[in-house]
Amino acid sequence: MTAAPTLPVGTWLRVFVRLFAVQGSYNYETMIGNGIAFAAEPAFRLLPGGRDGAAYHAAMARHSRYFNAHPYLAALAVGALVRAELDGEAVERVERFRTACCGPLGAAGDRLVWAGWLPFCSALALLAYGLGASAAGVLVTFVGTYNVAHVALRAWGLRAGYREGLKVAVALGSPVLRTGPLHVARALAVVAGAALPLVLLRVRAAHPMSIGVELGLAALLAMALARWQARTDGWRVGVVLLLLFFIYSVVR
Amino acid sequence: MPIEVYRIDDRLVHGQVVVGWGQPLALGFIVLVDDQVAESAWEQDLYRMGVPPEMAVHFESVAGALSRLPAYRLLPDPGLLLAGSTAAMRALVEGDPDIRHVNVGGLHHRAGRSPRLRFVFLDAAEEADLRAMRARGVEVSAQDVPGAVPVPLDDLLTRSGG
Repeated sequence: MTAAPTLPVGTWLRVFVRLFAVQGSYNYETMIGNGIAFAAEPAFRLLPGGRDGAAYHAAMARHSRYFNAHPYLAALAVGALVRAELDGEAVERVERFRTACCGPLGAAGDRLVWAGWLPFCSALALLAYGLGASAAGVLVTFVGTYNVAHVALRAWGLRAGYREGLKVAVALGSPVLRTGPLHVARALAVVAGAALPLVLLRVRAAHPMSIGVELGLAALLAMALARWQARTDGWRVGVVLLLLFFIYSVVR
Repeated sequence: MPIEVYRIDDRLVHGQVVVGWGQPLALGFIVLVDDQVAESAWEQDLYRMGVPPEMAVHFESVAGALSRLPAYRLLPDPGLLLAGSTAAMRALVEGDPDIRHVNVGGLHHRAGRSPRLRFVFLDAAEEADLRAMRARGVEVSAQDVPGAVPVPLDDLLTRSGG
């Protein structure tokens, strides 16, 4: 493979910013396919003929089709697909790559982010609460910590995908993706173990009479969520929880 | 250990397989059955990167899987067999009488397929494949993750999405 053609800074920025909207037209038919084409579109303008060229239209049509991967690691796919199109790779090879990279990007992202980083950041926010942080402090701890890695992952993915092109398996072999989930899981265990007793102590200090009731309700809620989580949509659960919270805050 | 799940999923290795099924079943290996992937080194490299280091992936053609399934069943860890199409799974079912359950985990939208569930779109040939498996006494159901309620084949084929 030859060296990657240099993209203008403006194109990099447009593609990167659009990556944050990659799920904007999510649907069960094409999943994030439209988002992939939308994110890559500024770079496709560099294809021969520009926006009015046949290559641009063919690439947009090709990449708007079904695509499903972890939304953050989709950046890796966007970078690789842009590189493949600008390099003039054979269409059949690009389409096979597109099909083949969905699953691995989904699996690696699910392990690292949904099953690792997100619970870790939640536990870290609980620890901040247990140590006496204000509501704003807890929020900043969670949102800040989570998004540092989130944004870095998208930026790294775009850059690595463009650098490696269709050899993106090299980037997927990065220690962050291969062994990162294991280290995050260990850190999660330590932080959660430290956070839970501190949180209980703070709740008990603030509400000495109601701790049993509130812990019981929390346990019931956790059991209900565990039972229903795969049987319903997240937004429905959210609406029911908001309703219950509203009723509780009124009758309390 | 037996192969715990025989799954049809056109995404092959992905998060629902590795995290959703892999963690609760403590999977030690995946047998990925796809004639094209079995001959493509770069695609194998890609799929291999989708699983954790402690999980093995064995790439097989349909013919190769049929000859080596008995050996895979003797491995010490539980495993999952993954086929990318109903045709591949039907060939496995017809060649291996020990497959008694088939999990339809994901067949997604493409031209000619009709929606049955959010994660299952089928065309006429795929429906015929699933019926043929059931006719051999195999229990066929759709279920994306272990916590979801399995949808039996008869129910699946009467649905129109959602």
